[in-house]
Amino acid sequence: MPGKNSIVIKLVLVITLCSSLIFAVTLGYNYYRSRILLVKELEGNAHNLALSLVNRVETELSSVTKVTEGVARSLETGRYSESELLSLIRITVEQNPKIYGSGVAFEPYAFRAASRLYAPYYYREKGKITFSRLEDSYKFVPYLYWDWYQIPRELGALEWSEPYFDEGAGNTAMSTCSVPFYGESRGARRLKGIVTADISLNSLTELVSSVKILKTGYAALISRNGMVLAHPLKAAVMNESFFSIAEARNDLSLRELGKKMVKGESGFILYRSLVGVRSWMYYAPIRSTGWTLAVVFPEAELLENVTRLSLTMALMGLAGILLLTLAVISIARSITKPLRSLAAATHLMSSGNFDLELPLVCSNDEVGLLTRDFQVMKESLKEYIKNLTETTAAKERIQSELNVATDIQASLLPRIFPAFPNRPEFDIFASMDPAKEVGGDFYDFFFIDDNNLCFLIADVAGKGVPAALYMMVAKTLLKSEGQRLGDPGQILSCVNTILAADNDSCMFATVFCAILDTRNGEVRFANAGHNPPLTLNSDGIRYLTLKPGFVVGPAEDMNYETERLTLQPGDTLFLYTDGVTEATNVADELYGEPRLLAALQCGPKEDVTALIHHVRAEVTRHADGAPQSDDVTMVALKYRGVAA
Amino acid sequence: MEIHTQKEANATVVAITGRLDAVTAPEYEKAVNELIAGGEIAFVIDFGSLDYISSAGLRGLLVTAKQLKGKGGQVRCANVKGTVKEVFDISGFGTIFQMDDTVAAALANIS
Repeated sequence: MPGKNSIVIKLVLVITLCSSLIFAVTLGYNYYRSRILLVKELEGNAHNLALSLVNRVETELSSVTKVTEGVARSLETGRYSESELLSLIRITVEQNPKIYGSGVAFEPYAFRAASRLYAPYYYREKGKITFSRLEDSYKFVPYLYWDWYQIPRELGALEWSEPYFDEGAGNTAMSTCSVPFYGESRGARRLKGIVTADISLNSLTELVSSVKILKTGYAALISRNGMVLAHPLKAAVMNESFFSIAEARNDLSLRELGKKMVKGESGFILYRSLVGVRSWMYYAPIRSTGWTLAVVFPEAELLENVTRLSLTMALMGLAGILLLTLAVISIARSITKPLRSLAAATHLMSSGNFDLELPLVCSNDEVGLLTRDFQVMKESLKEYIKNLTETTAAKERIQSELNVATDIQASLLPRIFPAFPNRPEFDIFASMDPAKEVGGDFYDFFFIDDNNLCFLIADVAGKGVPAALYMMVAKTLLKSEGQRLGDPGQILSCVNTILAADNDSCMFATVFCAILDTRNGEVRFANAGHNPPLTLNSDGIRYLTLKPGFVVGPAEDMNYETERLTLQPGDTLFLYTDGVTEATNVADELYGEPRLLAALQCGPKEDVTALIHHVRAEVTRHADGAPQSDDVTMVALKYRGVAA
Repeated sequence: MEIHTQKEANATVVAITGRLDAVTAPEYEKAVNELIAGGEIAFVIDFGSLDYISSAGLRGLLVTAKQLKGKGGQVRCANVKGTVKEVFDISGFGTIFQMDDTVAAALANIS
């Protein structure tokens, strides 16, 4: 089974991954762009909202400022009795609902010489206008040392005080607008006192807090020194400043933000708000008091719609990809179905089952082509294997037959040595090694009567089975004719005539045939085209000179002349076929006659068996692993003479 | 082995180069048989470039001679020398085949 590498899984993986990637990138880009657009739009909105709020606060403050300045100018231009002064202050408070309290604080002895300090003050308490004397109300710190008094006095100009809790007089959190007023004294303009009007921070806080932004967004007010004046975090109001919170949280960016606010800058930033939510904030200064107004938009709420839209899109995309995956699986499975059934079939085929039917495919696509080719291949393979099996069987049969033939051929040649243990007059040894399973060389020796030993060596043209068949005939004829005729020349002539009678294939054999008279060492011999034998005697080694005689087999009516030689006791006759001298090595060098002569020279001349083994070993050594190209046959006969 | 044949006026000269043995003899026989089948009955075999001839090669020559004899043709051997001549002499083929020293002489002797 293809498992996790199957085409279906690959296809599904690639398509799903690619479409998921494309979708994710698109969604991400959409979210990113929406967010940028949203923030840009937000900046404008926040700016407008902050400025409108600033304007509303400024309006409230400036009305108070104008009233206060008006009172101060009145005091500078007119002379007011104590009751007139008190009435003026009271009316000011009564007629200006935005003013929480108002008073006039005189410089020491400036109101009358009799009393050092004089500061009447009217304020609202539980809906009624209440009167208080500030020189009496402040038990521990005289009004002269309060900021609302000292700072405008020193600056000589209108001043809004930092918000404070008016302990003793107003008894509420407030900010005071202080305006100094002057009078003529001995020709010089001298400060007479400070006119104050308080606004309750509660009313401002209500104004700021009434602004609702999104769900949890809010507006906040921060004083000139960073003090939190209005904020949903009630505990921080009038207790904490921007810097103390930055310190507590060890938040450098918050501290920097505080610095910018105190400097009166405006800006739009993303930050972690005091309630700990990532938010966008627009902040702008309120010029008259030096305070800062901030509008805060929690980011999550701001992006809520975008996030929800993105989430919806993601869900839709996920469903779409799921659907796509299912579609791909379905299509891929339908496309690969014939391929899979083909693969299953070829898998079985690979294990050798060629009888199996391949799935029927009618389509003309690649799968159809593949299936048809497989069908053809299957048939060819089946045929091929059938042929191979038959050929192999035939080859095995032939091989086993050849092995039997080898044994038969070997058993036909005399191979029991010593061949004539009771004949001390001579020794004879012979060997034949076929190049193939069967050979065309042969030798033979037999007594034709009590004293005459016929011995011969022959080489049939070619080798292998044809040569072996011819050899069988030739050998049989030579033995029967040899025993009948007793003369080498006649033997060869008769055998030739018989062989030539039916020889369309022009097969032939070279034969050297000799008869030894064991009584006197006389050898009569005739040659039919065989290479001359060697004589080994006390004089050395030499080739026998032969009269040419044609090979036996091809032509009828050939005459072979019988020649004679006499062996002295101790002389050896060495017969061989050209398989000896024409044995080649890997370099294609012939063994050759010089090497043969040298081997015989060095060999053990006394023992014919050892001599032939020696020559055979030398030939094998020369061949050095090269395959034997022709049958190697040798016959050695040593005449020992008749025992005295 | 390479076989080069050339048609002369009264015979076809077959020049054999290399070795004529059990491996190459069938090739020789095939080439000559084709010529005989084509109507050639007079041949001069040029042994000048032949390095070696085995008994299988000799048998090939015999087959040629036998075929031509049946058709009234003839074959002559030219340039037989060296080891090839030794084989011819030992086997007695030298006495059976008509031998000439040169191709020209062989062609002249074709009757």
